[in-house]
Amino acid sequence: MKNNIKLKKYLPLTEATYYIMLALIEPLHGYGVMQKVEQISQETVKVGPGTLYGAFSSLEKEGLIEMVSEEQRRKCYQLTDKGRQVLVGQIDRLEIMSANGLPVREQLVIMLDNGKKR
Amino acid sequence: MENKTIRKFKWFWAWQDEAEEAWLREMSNEGCHLSRIGFPTIYEFEPGEPNDFVYRLDYQWKMEKEDYLQLFGDSGWENVGEMSGWHYFRQAAQTGEELEIYTDTESKIGKYQRLLTFLGILMLPLFFTIMNLNNLAPYGWMSIIQLFVALLLVLYVYAIIRILLRIRQLKRI
Repeated sequence: MKNNIKLKKYLPLTEATYYIMLALIEPLHGYGVMQKVEQISQETVKVGPGTLYGAFSSLEKEGLIEMVSEEQRRKCYQLTDKGRQVLVGQIDRLEIMSANGLPVREQLVIMLDNGKKR
Repeated sequence: MENKTIRKFKWFWAWQDEAEEAWLREMSNEGCHLSRIGFPTIYEFEPGEPNDFVYRLDYQWKMEKEDYLQLFGDSGWENVGEMSGWHYFRQAAQTGEELEIYTDTESKIGKYQRLLTFLGILMLPLFFTIMNLNNLAPYGWMSIIQLFVALLLVLYVYAIIRILLRIRQLKRI
């Protein structure tokens, strides 16, 4: 329980950090992360090298990711257990957000349709 | 035909990084491609075919350079040079795509915060000088040194205000 409170300080993650951490479920180097994020987010999120470098530095400093190997001079990172816990916390938050949003979305679509008919 | 390096001296303040990026792009449109940056802000251009290069400036003073440049290189950014913490990158413009090294507001603000931290650190010796001015300056030189230090201090405060305003502007978007 105490542990959970400590991890809460990282939440909510920014959209970029969330996707970077999602990508790091497997070991990847920086450019690999950029490509994967663009692909899994259906091109809604693009991570530039400046943004990624900063995210890598702070995530590593906080012990949420760690270097696991090196591939052709490129360092590969992966989530640590602490990082996995934080990511679970973020996904839970997103689930609540989306559960709240979906019924409202239906209402909104109906309202917008009625508006068009008038 | 011999390619001659073109040297230009142009001053940009720390808060004018976007104006500098735009100027370098204009130069590339005219066929002048940045090849080196010397201290203090002497730009060397290699003449060539006009091209549309997007330039981006990053500010970093505490990083593992090899990893850093590798990451930018992998994502298509050519490193053109470095000058007191500012790293110059370029990439050929692509139609319908905006090229950015910072893709969200938080990380873009991070760049200006690093700049502020650096200015803050630089301010310490200046502050120390002011506090000890009476002991440090030989008699007669006082007014000149005082004036110089005062000017420097005003410039510092102005720079910090400009960067803070930039951060506020970014937060509003």
